[in-house]
Amino acid sequence: MTRVITITSGKGGVGKTTTTANLGTALAKLGKRVVVIDTDIGLRNLDVVMGLQNRIIYDVVDLVEGRCRLRQALIRDRTLDELYLLPAAQSRDKSAVSPADMMRVIAQLRGDCDVVLIDSPAGIEAGFRNAVAPADEFVLVTTPDVSAVQDVDRVLGILEAEGRGETRLVINRIRPELVRRSEMMGPDEILDRLNVRLLGLVPDNEDVLVSNSKGTPIANDARSLAGRAYHNMARRLMGEDVSYLPVLVRRKSIWERIGLWKRSARSGAGG
Amino acid sequence: MENPPIMTNAIAIKGTREGLTITLGSGELGAILDDLARHLETQGAFFRGGNVALQTDELVLAQEDLSRIADLLGRHQMVLRTVVTPNEEMRQVADALGLRVLSPEAAEPQPAPRPQAPVAAPSAARLVDNTRASLIHQIVRSGQVIRGTGHVVVIGDVNPGGEVVAGGDVVVWGRLRGIVHAGAVGSNAAMVCALDFAPMQLRIGEYVARPADNEKRKVTYPEVATVRDGIIVVEPWTGGARGKRAP
Repeated sequence: MTRVITITSGKGGVGKTTTTANLGTALAKLGKRVVVIDTDIGLRNLDVVMGLQNRIIYDVVDLVEGRCRLRQALIRDRTLDELYLLPAAQSRDKSAVSPADMMRVIAQLRGDCDVVLIDSPAGIEAGFRNAVAPADEFVLVTTPDVSAVQDVDRVLGILEAEGRGETRLVINRIRPELVRRSEMMGPDEILDRLNVRLLGLVPDNEDVLVSNSKGTPIANDARSLAGRAYHNMARRLMGEDVSYLPVLVRRKSIWERIGLWKRSARSGAGG
Repeated sequence: MENPPIMTNAIAIKGTREGLTITLGSGELGAILDDLARHLETQGAFFRGGNVALQTDELVLAQEDLSRIADLLGRHQMVLRTVVTPNEEMRQVADALGLRVLSPEAAEPQPAPRPQAPVAAPSAARLVDNTRASLIHQIVRSGQVIRGTGHVVVIGDVNPGGEVVAGGDVVVWGRLRGIVHAGAVGSNAAMVCALDFAPMQLRIGEYVARPADNEKRKVTYPEVATVRDGIIVVEPWTGGARGKRAP
């Protein structure tokens, strides 16, 4: 049975597209047949993060308006045979497709693949409506910022009021030092406020930015902490019980330990 | 002004001395709304400026649908004031939108003193319904607004960006982090209490308060807010009927 999951957040720039690309990659690595869809028409990004921007011939608007068939619009990933992208149009805007159009597109995919991941645009307007209409379940992405958490709360309210499917939360860009110093909301506090199931925690990590600009999602790199975080999320999505990575207890590097020792020695001398 | 009743299978419109009574029949809601829109389109000018009572019989409308009807009437310069229903669920929906609720028996023989009561705001005393309370069993999330003409009890948190507006008192059995307006029709005797009391902004009657910008709270007990001598006072809840005083 095909599961249709929409990745959304309310706020922009919290990592919806990164989450979509990486969950898609991680699910495909688990042997699932995955289609990722970019619904951010006019501001498409998912193709860039996946490094597929130069292979786009047809997009979702072409598909909806009947200029191509589904098979022609799907782009296969560079390395994973079972991962496909349906890109957004760049030259149009959100009004080019309707929620009913999206339902029709998804109906064609049901049965042909294991998971469909829909990357939603920011906001709660037309683009969000298009992304949410065909979904069975939802992955909400937030960062530890109060504004991002409040926007996810708003989206949860909308989805709950409409009696939609299951919702799960990804907390992105966690800065362990700030949480430890209680200068940033910690995962416990966020989950407590939102009353939602946790899908995964992703530490704030430069490697994610680098891999995004290279067009190779970090989930391809099983050694990085963020890459492992996405793999664990994929397994949790598939119903496995995976324990959470210790993102909050970072071991200090040898250099930091020496640095701290020096600093304390100096302050001791000064006092 | 007894107008000839307009009857279709979906709706009936009847002019009375107080204004207009629209009775919604049974059937698919979309069709009923279309029918209503068509009648207002053709005869809207005739009814313009009147107060409307909506009679729903056993039909239960969702809050959005009732708002849609109110909007539709508003576009034709009519004001939805009353919902006449025998159904308890429907009463709560209407109450949440701040509408007057009547049961069919009460609605029938109403001697109106004057045709078309003036649209002036009714007195606070008439609008606050101290005998009724709405029980809200959910988290009030950012962007959601809970309204009630009587008291409102929320079992769950009120998150930042969420709002509760009540004619009477507001009780939050959970964490209060959003905006609350108790005594929203000008009743300064209303009170607000919460297990964890940290509202973004608090209004009681005509008074407004917000926490100090640099407030660091370490409070672990329930608190209650009332108006005393012209300011909103927040104090620990110590049981009994504390905080509630005669208006």
